[in-house]
Amino acid sequence: MADWILGEFGTSSALLKAAEQLRREGHTRLDTYSPYPLDGSSEALGLPRSKIPLIGLAAGLSGATLGYVIQWLTNAVDWPLNVGGRPPHSAPTFIPITFESGVLLSALSIFFGLWLILRLPQPYHPVFDLEEFRTASSAGFWLSVESVQAAAEKEQLVRRLRSLGAVQVSIVPERR
Amino acid sequence: MEPVGQPDALDPAPLLVGVKDDQTVTQIIFRPVWERTRRGWWILFLIGLGGVGLLITAISVTLARGIGAWGNNIPVGWAFGIVNFVWWIGIGHAGTLISAILLLFQQKWRTSINRFAEAMTLFAVMCAGMFPVLHLGRPWFAYWLVPYPNLMRIWPQFRSALTWDVAAVSTYFTVSLLFWYVGLVPDLASLRDASKSRLQRIVYGIFALGWRGSGRQWHHYRIAYLLLGGLATPLVVSVHTIVSFDFAEGLIPGWHSTIFPPYFVAGAVFSGFALVLTLMIPARRFMGLEQVITLKHIDNMNKVLLATSMMVGYGYLIEQFMGWYSGNIYEMYSVLNRMFGPYALIFWLLILCNVLAPQLMWSRRMRTNLAVTFGVSLLVNVGMWCERFVIVVVSLHRDFLPSSWAMYRPTWVDLSLFTGTLAFFGTLFLLFLRFLPAVSASEVKELRQELSEHAEEKAA
Repeated sequence: MADWILGEFGTSSALLKAAEQLRREGHTRLDTYSPYPLDGSSEALGLPRSKIPLIGLAAGLSGATLGYVIQWLTNAVDWPLNVGGRPPHSAPTFIPITFESGVLLSALSIFFGLWLILRLPQPYHPVFDLEEFRTASSAGFWLSVESVQAAAEKEQLVRRLRSLGAVQVSIVPERR
Repeated sequence: MEPVGQPDALDPAPLLVGVKDDQTVTQIIFRPVWERTRRGWWILFLIGLGGVGLLITAISVTLARGIGAWGNNIPVGWAFGIVNFVWWIGIGHAGTLISAILLLFQQKWRTSINRFAEAMTLFAVMCAGMFPVLHLGRPWFAYWLVPYPNLMRIWPQFRSALTWDVAAVSTYFTVSLLFWYVGLVPDLASLRDASKSRLQRIVYGIFALGWRGSGRQWHHYRIAYLLLGGLATPLVVSVHTIVSFDFAEGLIPGWHSTIFPPYFVAGAVFSGFALVLTLMIPARRFMGLEQVITLKHIDNMNKVLLATSMMVGYGYLIEQFMGWYSGNIYEMYSVLNRMFGPYALIFWLLILCNVLAPQLMWSRRMRTNLAVTFGVSLLVNVGMWCERFVIVVVSLHRDFLPSSWAMYRPTWVDLSLFTGTLAFFGTLFLLFLRFLPAVSASEVKELRQELSEHAEEKAA
């Protein structure tokens, strides 16, 4: 049966050092937990660059294009209306809505893209089974190693976490 | 506990007072959420609900009898509805400025006040949105403003600034809401984990979406939050600019002016900061947040208030100058009519509140004096409302032909709609203060960490 190994550290720097060290020792399925974002946690976990900016840019550009095209199609092609003799396709007056629709679509896709990438909402997660882990969102610094199978490896990881300075180490079963 | 004393000239005033560790931050910020509902809260809440009742009555009368129930006439076709709309929308801008622009400029002092100001933005925009919709006359056709394929085969006219307004205000509300919620998620998770009852755990748990605060989550979260801030930044400028186009595109003397966009944006930030101060000074006291919202914050906000007051004052000056410089009798008359016409009192009140009162803020002693700050912020709220009244009503009531001039008087429905939105705003704000942390705990903890690292470096 697969288990999660959770260890709590006293300080954020101890946590990051431990994560870095474990990663160097070949453990890839690591994660750190902290009440606020830690500088250097992405580097310690060796994460690639986030795709969020690309999503935002693509959505922003398509939103702006869509906004302009809708205004042009409705006001200049489908139903041209003569208002004070101004041209039906008057680009400068289309700027505000083009801008707003770009911002709107970009913000919406960053928002939903974030939850999609993080796979949230997720009501259950193995770490929530540990009552002590509740400190992770207020003051605690935790480290997890994901679904470890072999009993020998579990024991070895518990010892390793202790030697890296973990204040407490727990094993949480993964329910599937 | 009041952080006392004048700070050393070389040692800037602290942003956090007596906050030793993360646990203290959690305790200070979450205490108002966990403690029993106080009697004062209930009293204010009931008053608020009464005001909401008044609002519902006034809306019902407007729907049943139409715009005739308002004091609007011809030539004053835009009156309280638009004055209140512009005033409320403007107030929202401080929230976005604090949360987005100050985030990008890495102003550390924004951290303790951003959640508060963003909530204010959301509620203010909700109040603002009611007015133009009711002013449509037939609000049940409000969806005609959206370009959707319909059997009538007509489309909205996008060369009108009024359709830009629809896009700007709805985008503004949506982006502000997303930004606010993303900022709330880590704190909601923290509330979930500290919940004492099962119900609290479930409710906060649902809204926390299963947030774990893991490094892999923060990795994407941080950049998403920053980008949403970056997107909200141009919105601060664009929304009130577009609102000002509603006027600047018109030909009425006193409206047809190129200074309107910057002048409106400065006014919006000005009124918004004033309302943040008005709400924050009592809230930080009654909720015991003095350690995280310090005199340093009040001092900084007062500086912004002074700066924007000067910008708005410059706007008034230029308006008068351009009226004379245009050489146009209608423009000149509109300037004179503002100063000496039948509504002159409101004009001079606005000068007193918006230009003269904030001059007190040149002195540091005044900026850190809570009673003075509170008084000035109230005056600015009044002054900014007067400014919108002067722009909308006073410009319209005497335009070109003296034969078409008229006076405007609000009816009880106008007054009830306005006081009703004030109560609605207050009620939402009370609910916010009761159920959510008014200060972002995770951001304050991040700031605390940063400040202590900085202090260690300095010591070494």
